[in-house]
This record gives sequence, structure tokens and C-alpha cells, in this order.
Amino acid sequence: MSMLRGFLVLVLFFILGESMRVLFALPVSGGVLGMVVITFTLMVKGNVSDELASASQGLISVLVLLIMPGVVGVFFTADQFSGQWLAVATALLVGTFLSVLTTLLLMQLVTARGDGDGE
Amino acid sequence: MVNEILARLQALPDILAATPILAIGLTLGAFFAGNWLFSRVGRPLWLPPVVLSALLLAGVIAFLAVDYQSYQQGARWLSVLLGPATVALGIPLYQQMHHIRAMWRPIVVTLPIAATMAAVYAVVIGWALGATPEVLASLAPKSVTAPIAIGITEQLGGSVPLMMGGLLITGVVATLFVDLLARLLPVKDERILGFALGLNGHAVGTARAFEISHTAGAFASLGMGLTGVFTALILPLVFRL
Repeated sequence: MSMLRGFLVLVLFFILGESMRVLFALPVSGGVLGMVVITFTLMVKGNVSDELASASQGLISVLVLLIMPGVVGVFFTADQFSGQWLAVATALLVGTFLSVLTTLLLMQLVTARGDGDGE
Repeated sequence: MVNEILARLQALPDILAATPILAIGLTLGAFFAGNWLFSRVGRPLWLPPVVLSALLLAGVIAFLAVDYQSYQQGARWLSVLLGPATVALGIPLYQQMHHIRAMWRPIVVTLPIAATMAAVYAVVIGWALGATPEVLASLAPKSVTAPIAIGITEQLGGSVPLMMGGLLITGVVATLFVDLLARLLPVKDERILGFALGLNGHAVGTARAFEISHTAGAFASLGMGLTGVFTALILPLVFRL
């Protein structure tokens, strides 16, 4: 029961997010808007109820199940993108290498400079 | 008699596929089978359970000769939960928020640049090699956690299956590159490694970070959550230009 009550809160924030997306013609998905609003609500409130925490944990633990219909599609729509696999593979491999390098160097640079701050 | 039953058997998958329950059953079954297989092969980092589950599911769908479109129709009953599940990501994000205070300066400086570049590198390389706009829109959210990335791709007009494939590959190679570059540069700070894993490698990277230490895992969760929100808010605006 209590987990369902937490689920209701998540559904309500999702509906709120969807409504914001439609009303203000935002290019961001309703789920993300709901997530941003619930995060700020919790920050203002200062704590999270057990019901909400257990409902969110439950949903997050089955995320893989929820994304599987999308993942499996890659095997059935592959022909659609024939001829672009080199571009896709290079973009993924080289792009990810560069972005990991960028993240590590930036973090290290700023951490070293601000050492002792807020520790 | 036997022939009649065989003929009916052939029609059975299509009849069952007319309701969503076959799609839900297949997905659930593949989910548990994938997880079981994952622990049986020694939980390799380069082969996340979702890939195993998806391979099994694709195999079964092809074998049963279930039409992929009708599978998708039924599986919508599961996908509809992705909305509330995305909202649910806000709760751990809130719970990890206090780590920002410990390291706010590097995070505030790095996040916008690194999250933007994660998308820009891939799109520019793809564009230079002649990828179509649909493919580029599918590559852009490659470092974002799946439920958020699905929303982004739909907004940008990309292909969700292609994006999902790219997302998983990105998660795996980001994990390998963080390990490699941590040794080469070298970077020893677990908070930096965790943040880089979450920012570039979403859930796959975060799983790896929790193997390093709890601190690395916490920073990975934070990096994943912030990258998701930041990319979801910025990317659609940039793509409009």
C-alpha cells in the first residue's frame, strides 16, 4: 500500500511535468520536467518520505525492464541505417574517448586549483 | 487431427500477440533470464545484463515469428512506466545533492562543459562522416541515462532503437576509457573518477563506480543525474538552431 502511495506521487509529478510541457510548448520531456520539479520540491522540503523513497527505488531497480522494448528494436531496425555504421561507430568510440579525457582533465585542473576549498 | 493442431500452433503466436500480455511476459522472462545469465558468466563489465536480456528477447521474437511491430504495441504497457520512472530519478539525485557542497567548484565548472562536449564530439564526428540528421539526433544523448535519453531523442526526432544501441556502447567504452585514462594521466581521486564515470557512462559507468568505492558511486550517481537534467534542458534548445 505505502509503496503505491509513493507511486501515486511519482505519477502526479509526471502528469504535472507533461502538463508543463504541453502548456508552455517546451522541447523537454514531461518526465524530465517532473524530475526537476520533484528534486526542487524535496530540496525545499528538506526530507523525503519513506513511501516515496521505496517507490522510486522499486521503479529504478526495474528500469532495465522498462527500456528493453527500446533496446531490442536495434536488432529489427538495423537495415534502416545501413551505410552509416562507420559514422556511428567512430562517433561513439572517438567521441566518448574525447569526452572522458575532457571530463578528467577539467575536473583535475579545477580541483587542483581550488584545493582546500570547502573540504 | 495432428495437422489441424499443428496449423493452430502456427497461428498461436499471432493470436497471443493480439493482447499485450505476451509482450509483457516475454520481456519479463528475458529480463530475469538475462540477469541470471549475467551472474553465471561472472558479471563482466563489458557485457551489461541489459545487452544479454535484449539479445535473448530478440532471439525469441525472431524464433516465434512474432511481428516486431505487434511486440512494440504490447510492450507499450511497460514503456508507459518510463515517465514516472524518470521522475523517480529525482529522489536519488536529491539524496546525493550534499556531495555538491564538498566539491561544488569542479562540478559547477566541469558539468556544463563536459556534458555539452559529450554530445558535441559525437554529433560533429558523425556529421563529418556523413550521418543523416536522424542518426545525429540519435547520437546526441549518448551519455544520458536511458529513460531521460528516450525523452530527448523523441523530442529531437531521432530513432529510439539506434539511440539505445549507441547508449549502451557508450556506457561500456566510457567505463573502459575512464579506467585507461585514470592510469595514463594519472587520476587517483575517487570522486573525480566517479563523476567522470557517471557523466560519460550513465548507468553502466555508475555500476562500475560502485565497484571502486561507495564515494565513487555517489559521485557517479550525481554526475549521471546532473548530466541527464542538463542535457535534457539544453540539447533541444541547441538542436533548434
